[in-house]
Amino acid sequence: MNRPVLQIENARAYYIVENNYVRAIDDISIVIREGEVVGIVGESGSGKTTLSNVMLMNIKRPLSLIDGKVKLYSNGNVIELNKLSREELQKNIWGKETSIIPQSAMNALMPTKKIKDSILDVMKTHFEEIHEKEIIEKVQARFEEVGISKDVIFRYPFELSGGMKQRAVIAIATLLNPRFLIADEPTSALDVSTQKMVLKTIQDLREKEIVKSIAFITHDIATVRQIAETLVVMYAGKIVEISSIEDIIKEPLHPYTRGLLFSVVTPEPEVKKRGIYYIPGTPPNLMYPPPGCRFHPRCEYKLDICDKEEPKLKDVNGRKVACFLY
Amino acid sequence: MPILTVNNLTKIYESGMIIRRYIEAVKNVSFSIEEGEIVSLVGESGSGKTTTANIILRFLKPTSGEVLVDGKDIWKDINTFEDLKEYRRKVHAVFQDPFSSYNSFYPVDRVLYQALELLDKNPRTQESKSLMEDALIRVGLEPKHILGKYPHQLSGGEKQRLMIARCWLIKPKLIIADEPVSMIDASTRGGIIKLFEKLKEEENTSILFITHDMGLAYYISDKILIMYLGEIVEQGTPDEIISSPRHEYTKNLIGSIPTLYRKWE
Amino acid sequence: MKSYALKPFLKYISRKFIFLLVTYFIAITIVFILPRAIPGNPLSTLLRQIFQQGQANPELIRSVHKTLMEEFGLGKPWYEQYIDFVTRAFRGDFGTSISSYPKKTLELIIPVMPWTLMLLIPSIITAWIIGNTLGAIAGYKRGSFTDRFTLNFSLIVSQIPYYWLGMLLIFTLSVKLHIFPGQGGYSQGTIPTFTLKFILDMLYHYILPFLSIVISALGGWAIGTRVLVIYELDADYVNFGELLGLKEKTVFRYIFRNSILPQVTGLALSLGGALGGALITEIIFNYPGTGYLLFRALSTLDYPLIQGIFIILIGSIYLANFFVDFLYALIDPRIRLGQSEGS
Repeated sequence: MNRPVLQIENARAYYIVENNYVRAIDDISIVIREGEVVGIVGESGSGKTTLSNVMLMNIKRPLSLIDGKVKLYSNGNVIELNKLSREELQKNIWGKETSIIPQSAMNALMPTKKIKDSILDVMKTHFEEIHEKEIIEKVQARFEEVGISKDVIFRYPFELSGGMKQRAVIAIATLLNPRFLIADEPTSALDVSTQKMVLKTIQDLREKEIVKSIAFITHDIATVRQIAETLVVMYAGKIVEISSIEDIIKEPLHPYTRGLLFSVVTPEPEVKKRGIYYIPGTPPNLMYPPPGCRFHPRCEYKLDICDKEEPKLKDVNGRKVACFLY
Repeated sequence: MPILTVNNLTKIYESGMIIRRYIEAVKNVSFSIEEGEIVSLVGESGSGKTTTANIILRFLKPTSGEVLVDGKDIWKDINTFEDLKEYRRKVHAVFQDPFSSYNSFYPVDRVLYQALELLDKNPRTQESKSLMEDALIRVGLEPKHILGKYPHQLSGGEKQRLMIARCWLIKPKLIIADEPVSMIDASTRGGIIKLFEKLKEEENTSILFITHDMGLAYYISDKILIMYLGEIVEQGTPDEIISSPRHEYTKNLIGSIPTLYRKWE
Repeated sequence: MKSYALKPFLKYISRKFIFLLVTYFIAITIVFILPRAIPGNPLSTLLRQIFQQGQANPELIRSVHKTLMEEFGLGKPWYEQYIDFVTRAFRGDFGTSISSYPKKTLELIIPVMPWTLMLLIPSIITAWIIGNTLGAIAGYKRGSFTDRFTLNFSLIVSQIPYYWLGMLLIFTLSVKLHIFPGQGGYSQGTIPTFTLKFILDMLYHYILPFLSIVISALGGWAIGTRVLVIYELDADYVNFGELLGLKEKTVFRYIFRNSILPQVTGLALSLGGALGGALITEIIFNYPGTGYLLFRALSTLDYPLIQGIFIILIGSIYLANFFVDFLYALIDPRIRLGQSEGS
């Protein structure tokens, strides 16, 4: 097994709202290893975006890390990100060791500056001294690597199309070859044909070893299936299943995974044969999560134990699932 | 006879006070829908699919061309209020945003009252009440959990189900569903899709299903129309379109959709 | 590259310029209509007024009457009056003052304009800069003590009317404490000259009216910018920049730059109101500017003078507006280059 790059241990991250907790991330542990693309899939309110913030330790009020560790493995050292201050993270970690392709790349670039100038500003935080010409050459090379013209850096963001902007964001996010990259719904705002192009660009990042590993966060299994090897399924702030993507598509174990997978419709004959499913009810309010398994109120396989005890993630034929059926 | 026939429909938007600019949103579109048929109109934003829907719903007047519902031209043959009412009973719309159809100051019951009034029924009678309850049960909602509630107390899926409950009261011959599930979470989407299938099976309702989602269109339709830059560039059964697309746009579109059961090369 | 960059800019500027001409024309028309909309013959009202002021010299009255008849063109049909009025207005001829007959109104306005501009422009700009900076800091440190203090302070001062604050300043700092003079633009008895002594005296008189405008205007700017900054704090480019390791200082600069953009437009929009405030401030401080002249003109019903002042003031506001629009285009590339997706 490859060496880990990022590890989260028993993380709990809650939003504090009027003396109450919204348990957005509740006791989650994940290891992301070198060379891996891990898909993190969940619906709105599953906690997947909070998880991406925890991975980078981008914790801002009202979000608070209640418990747990976030470890980054860098050249044989283990850095506990949860012990660093925001200034330290900004100076030594973000942009350098870790990076993110944000959810809405459409507005991710400073709108009233030329792209080149925004990039130089970022470089100024990481290096005492910068050689503008040298940096621009490197940046231009990276822009061409992700498939956009090197002249784009002399433009303003609003002069670019959606697909170009998204690739410019990818190029900027990976300028310093970060070890660990989060892609947070990077394609959801794009039209279908651009989506494919951007997905390929992200795939290239790992093949060219620009980044070591990627956490790909999405609500769309069909998209993540094209790029990830491992899938983490989240429901109501918990991980319900971790498994290779091929296994999950062949045989989803957790009833939630099954419901989510079977509700995906793609233009394939298998879908017509399989039919369309849905999960009745709605996700719980995370201020008052249901006792026991958080999925039990919507589960068609509910056992007596499900509303009493909380299922732990356990090994089932080399896969991990948090369900009393196994 | 088809329930809906659209012949050479064209809509040109004009803009500019001095220098006139013309945008052809819909170009010479023709198609028809038979009784009990689900037809999908697939295209990306700006392709003209919503404009087409709005013309069929009589919200927009076409520049040229005709729309026949049950053989009647909806612009020429509807002259009186009674004609219009009859048309509204035949053609019903379900929109993308189930939130926008609600006035947040009234209980959601009003949505059903409006449907009853269209049928010339007094919503306060016992008969109306049982009709309403029956419609709610048919869309998988528990009447006592829904009636009397305010819009913010219902989830997106529940609101969309409520909109479809109207279809069970009115029993229209044709439903125009404009992106009815695109704002609903993936895991609850299937439930709404099934409601449309049920209407088709039990009431022989025809549906024009407008979507950008090829997978959905493939799953639900008897026939797919591909719309691109205001024109219908291709049509056929779902399997024809998926297995042997002819137009360049369709080929590119189908090649770009992520598939679940096979990984891209 | 250059020509593609210039075209939308020229288009924007020329559109603004045409807009300026059209609105100015409308303004002149309104100024033309107003005295004529007063019931009865405005001239006889005026003349009665002059009688009542005791200027019974029949020779003078006849002369005033003749001039006014000509200038108002009251004998002619309305459209001729209108064309006449507009053409003379564009030539800079706003007629003859009644209260200071036979002086031309322009002769009266020109000497007082510098006083008003000198009071108005620095105070508005100072208020804008201080207010926006305070608001930006408060918004950036949302929820902190600085934020709460700035917000409360701004809310209070922005609710104080110009004239009340002016009177309060006069009462405390001038009448009670004798720190600053509360009257006039310079010491009584001196004659405006270009000497250091006079300039210092003038600045001494300048402080109170200047402060009264700055203080009452900055609250509004601070409140507005605070909200804009808070809104901008959650912008995607802020989050992305932070997660690339952008320094806090740089992030603040980005936010500041983008959130004051609407305030530049706000500046243009507020000029009219600020001018109104300045005019009242001048009256309170007996400041020898346009406001004071207008006050005199209003109290003597000197219509030609009122019209002349209005036309010039409105014109200056439009020009300033145009200048701000120009500035806006310079600092916002989206306007300068014409916002369009792709190219």
